[in-house]
Amino acid sequence: MNSESETDEASRGNEASSSITNSAPGNSNDENITHSCADPINNQDIMKRAAAKQLIERYFYQLLDGCGNSDCDNKYCASSGEARNLTPNEAAAEAIKLFNKEARLCDALPNKVPRTESSHCESGAGTTSKEATNKNDTIRLDMPSSSRSPSNVWTEEKKGETSHNVSNADDHSNLSHNNGAPLTEERIYQLCDECLQNKKRQPLKRALGEAFTQPAILARSFPSKANVDVDLENKEKVKESKAMCSSSDPDKDIDSVAGPGLDVASCRRAFQYLSKVPSDYYSSTLVLALAQLAEYLRVELSTSKKMCMDDIVNCFVIAFEVPDLGCSDYLEVALPALCHAAEFLPVKGQAKLARIWAQHCKETLRHILETLQQVITLKIISTNYQRWFQVQEDETVTLATKLMKIVYYANMLAGVMEPNTLREEAVVIASQLDPLGDALDHLYPLSSMKSSKQPLPEDPLGIELDVNVLDARKPHLPFEEFYNEPLSDTVEMDVDFANYKIKVSNGKKFSFLKYPFILTAATKSLGLYYENRIRMYSERRVSLLQAVVGAVSPMPFLKLRVRRSHIIDDALVELEMIAMERTLDLKKQLVVEFEGEQGVDEGGVSKEFFQLIVEEIFNPDYGMFTQQQDSHTVWFNPTSFETEAQFTLIGIVLGLAIYNNIILAVNFPMVVYRKLMGKKGSFEDLSDWNPILYKGLKDMLEYSESDLEETYCQTFRICYRDVYGNNIFHDLKENGDDIFVTQENKQEFVEMYADFLLNKSVEAQFKAFRRGFVMVTDESQLCTLFRPEEVETLVCGSKNFDFNELEKSTEYDGGYTSESQTIKDFWSIVHSLSLEDKRKLLQFTTGSDRVPVGGLSHLKLVIARNGPDCDRLPTAHTCFNVLLLPEYENKDKLQDRLMKAISYSKGFGML
Amino acid sequence: MAATRRLQKELNDIRQSGLKSFRDIQVDESNILTWQGLIVPDNAPYNKGAFRIEINYPAEYPFKPPKISFKTKIYHPNIDEKGQVCLPIISAENWKPATKTDQVIQALVALVNDPEPEHPLRAELAEEFLKDRKKFSKNAEEFTKKHSEKRPSD
Repeated sequence: MNSESETDEASRGNEASSSITNSAPGNSNDENITHSCADPINNQDIMKRAAAKQLIERYFYQLLDGCGNSDCDNKYCASSGEARNLTPNEAAAEAIKLFNKEARLCDALPNKVPRTESSHCESGAGTTSKEATNKNDTIRLDMPSSSRSPSNVWTEEKKGETSHNVSNADDHSNLSHNNGAPLTEERIYQLCDECLQNKKRQPLKRALGEAFTQPAILARSFPSKANVDVDLENKEKVKESKAMCSSSDPDKDIDSVAGPGLDVASCRRAFQYLSKVPSDYYSSTLVLALAQLAEYLRVELSTSKKMCMDDIVNCFVIAFEVPDLGCSDYLEVALPALCHAAEFLPVKGQAKLARIWAQHCKETLRHILETLQQVITLKIISTNYQRWFQVQEDETVTLATKLMKIVYYANMLAGVMEPNTLREEAVVIASQLDPLGDALDHLYPLSSMKSSKQPLPEDPLGIELDVNVLDARKPHLPFEEFYNEPLSDTVEMDVDFANYKIKVSNGKKFSFLKYPFILTAATKSLGLYYENRIRMYSERRVSLLQAVVGAVSPMPFLKLRVRRSHIIDDALVELEMIAMERTLDLKKQLVVEFEGEQGVDEGGVSKEFFQLIVEEIFNPDYGMFTQQQDSHTVWFNPTSFETEAQFTLIGIVLGLAIYNNIILAVNFPMVVYRKLMGKKGSFEDLSDWNPILYKGLKDMLEYSESDLEETYCQTFRICYRDVYGNNIFHDLKENGDDIFVTQENKQEFVEMYADFLLNKSVEAQFKAFRRGFVMVTDESQLCTLFRPEEVETLVCGSKNFDFNELEKSTEYDGGYTSESQTIKDFWSIVHSLSLEDKRKLLQFTTGSDRVPVGGLSHLKLVIARNGPDCDRLPTAHTCFNVLLLPEYENKDKLQDRLMKAISYSKGFGML
Repeated sequence: MAATRRLQKELNDIRQSGLKSFRDIQVDESNILTWQGLIVPDNAPYNKGAFRIEINYPAEYPFKPPKISFKTKIYHPNIDEKGQVCLPIISAENWKPATKTDQVIQALVALVNDPEPEHPLRAELAEEFLKDRKKFSKNAEEFTKKHSEKRPSD
C-alpha cells in the first residue's frame, strides 16, 4: 500500500467520523445525555442516525483496511482478498449499500467512533442488538480507564479472532474493549508489539486514530493509577485529582496542577515505545488525527464550550508529547492546527497548560520550543513577505508565536523563580502640567501619547500566573533560545510598532512587540528607536505649535551648551535645571554644543559628549563610583560626598544614552539593570557583583557540620572597607554582634547581608540614580520589551574585546619576548578565536570576563614561559593575571592545549 | 566585632599552639586585619634563615580569602620579586571560609620547604630548579644568607 493512498483513506475516515461527531455533538458529555434522554422522540432519532453511521463506518473500514484476520472469508472484507480494491469514494458508496442489505461484518474490526453513551436509551436502531450495546456499556462503566492487564486483552483478542464466523450480535462484546477506549501505556506497548510481530499496522493505526480524533477519549488517556500504591509523587497527583473531582466549578480547579489524573510520564514512555515501530506505519494517521483533534478543540473552545477545561488542557499536553511533532508532516499540518486551536484557550486554560508543562514536562519543553521555532523559521524562509503581506498577517507564524508565549511562561515556572516581593519602590515622577498639551490633544492625537500615564498593559497570562520575567532567576531553558533570528531579520519594525500601538486601542492587529521574547535585542531596540523618534517628533511638534501660539519655550530640541574644560559641571548644571523645571524636555532629541566649536550635532558631537562624561564620572577619583576589584565592575560609592542630585543626573545621562541610541562604556554589574527595571538586589546577584564573596557565602550555606558557630564565629555584624581603606562595621540586626550565625539563621544572614550591600547601603544614591533614569524612560516600553540583560546590551553594546590592545600591553616573562615563536603563534590563535572563546580566555587568565574600565590594556597581562615542550596544559594565576605557557613544539599543539585549558577550566564565574 | 571575632580566636589559637615554623606574630591592636610573622622553614636551602610575611585579611573575611606577601626577599620559584605568592588554598577558586589561618600557614610553609615548579610564578627559577638542582640550591642558599632574617634561637 503506498503512502499516498493511505493518507487519502485516512482522511476519508476522519471525515466520516467527524461528520458523525458533528451530527451528535458532545456525545460523550454527561450533561448532554441527561438532556437528550428527557426528549425521547428527538433522542430516538439521533440514536438511530448515529447507530446507522457507526455501522456504515465499519463497513467502510472493512472494505478498505480489512479486519486484520488473514483467514477472513468474508467477501465484503479487504482481508479476505475477495473484495476488490476500492478507492475511498467507492468504498463509501459501497458501505452504504452493504448497510442497507445488512451484509456481514467481521468482528475484529473496531469502530472508528466511540460507542455513544446515549445508547442507554437505545431503541433498536439498525442491526445492532440492544443486548450487545448494553453489554458494551457495562464494560465501559466498569473500567473507565480500561486499565486491564495486557494478558487479559490478549486473550480477548484471540477469542475475537477465533470466533470471527460467529454471528454479528455476539461479536460486539468481544471487540468492545478497545472500542473508543482511552489509550494507556500498556495498551500502546501491546499494540506496538503486536504491530511489530504481525507486521500489521491496522490495530495500532486505528487505536491512535480513534483516540486522537476524539478529545473526550484522549483526555482520559494515560490515567495516573489511582489505586496502585506507588511513589509519593503519584500519591500527590492522586490527591490533586481527587480534590479536583470534588470541586464542581472548573474555574476553581486552575490552581491544582495536573489535569484529572493525567500521568504525563506514562504518556511519554508510551510514545517512546511507539517510536520502535517504523513511523510510516502510523504517522499519516496520527498527523490527520492530530489535525482533526485540533479542529475539534478549536470549535469546542470557540463555540460549543461543553468540555471541561481540564480535559482540553490534557488533550494539548498529550498532543505536544508526540515525539514526531518536529517531523515534516506534523510541522505542516498538525502543528499549525494545534496552534490555531490553542489560540482559543482562555487565559485560565493557558495558565493551566503552562503550569502542567512546567511541572511535568520539563524534558519536553525544549522539544516543544524547537518544534515551534521550526514552524516559524520554515514558514519565514519559504515565504516572500511584501508590504501588503507582512509577517504579522501570516497566521502560521503568529499563532505559533502565541503558543510560544505559553511555553515561555512554562519555561520560567520550570526554572528557578524568586519571590516577587523584592521589588524596588516605584518611582513616581510628578507629571508636569503642560497646559497647552491638554488643549492640543484633540488637535494632535499623537501628542496624546505622552499623556498616557496609565501603567503599561501587562500580559494577562503573566498576571494570571503571577509571573514576572524579573523574578525568573534561572529559567529552565535560557531566554536566548526563544529568539527567532529569521523572524527578527524579517519583521519590519515600523509596521510592527504601528500595530503595537493600534493594538493598545482596538486589539486587532498582531504585533511581535507583544511577544518580545521571540525578537532579538537588536530588533527590539529598533522598535524602541521608532517609539523614541515618534515621541521626539511629537514633542517637537508641540513645541513648534507652542511657538506659533506664542507660548513660552519654543525649543524643539534638548540643547546642551558645555565647555570642554568643565564638561561635567556644565552638563550637570544644565541638566539639573531642565530636570527641575522642564522634565518633559528630556524627551526631546538631544543636541550638544561645545562652546567655541563649530560642530553641528548630527549625532557625532553628542556621542563624544557622552563618552567624555562617562570617562569622567566613572573615574574612581571622582568619588561617585567605586571599582570592584574582583569583577571589574563599578558600583555606587556609599560614602560619596556628592549630592543626590548628582546621581539623578547620572541616571538621566544613562537614560538619554538609551533614548538617543548611544552606546556607553560603562561596566555596571547586572544587578544595576535589574534594579533599574524594578527588582531589588538579592543574594544571587552577588555572583557577578562580587564573585569571591558570593562563593564564600555560598560555601557557608552548603556547610552542613554542626560546628558552624565555632568555625565561622560570624555574627550579624559585618565589616566592609570604604574607598579610603577604613573598615566600617554594620549591624544587620539590632545588637548584631551578639547574634551568631547558626545553621538555622544562615540563610537569613546571607539575605540580609546581600540586601545591605546591594540595596540598603546605596539606597539614597541608587534611588536618586533611578529617578533620573526613569525621568527619561518612564513612558517608553523599555520595561515591557527588554529583560535586564538586554538593557545592558542597549547601554554597553555587545561586549567586544579589543585583543590588539591587549597584545600591545602584554608583558612577557621567563624567557619569552614578543618575538618568541610561541608568543607569535599564541596571538595569531587568540585573534582568530570566536567572541565566546575570547571571553573564556579572559575568564581563564584573569578570573573575570569583564573588561576593566579603560579597556583591556589596563589588564596588565603577563605571559610566562613554563618550561620547554611538554604535555601539560597552560595554567594561570588569576590573582596576578599571569598565563603560564609551556613552549609547545608547534602551533597546532599550542592551539589544542590552549583550547582544552579554557574550555575545561572551572572558574568561579562559570557555574 | 564581626570579622575580628573570628580573627581574635584564630590569633589566640595560633599563639597558644606554639607553631615552630611560624612565630613572632605581631598584630597592631587597632587593625586586626593585618598580621606579621616569621616563617621558619626546615628544609634546605631555606633553613639558614627566617622570612617575614604579612597576612592581609579582607574586611569580608572569612567569606573572602586572606592575601599573603613576603616582606623578606626569597629565591623561590613560587614567590616573585615583589613577595607575592600564589597559594592554591587561598586562591579565589579554592578558598573555603571554614579554612583556618593555621592551615594556610602550614600550606605556605610546605610550599616554601618544597617548591612546586609545576606552577611557578618565576618561570626561570622553576626551570633552574628542575634542570640544575645543585645550582639552584647554591643560589638559593646564598640568597637566603644575604637577605633573610635571623632564625629565633630556641
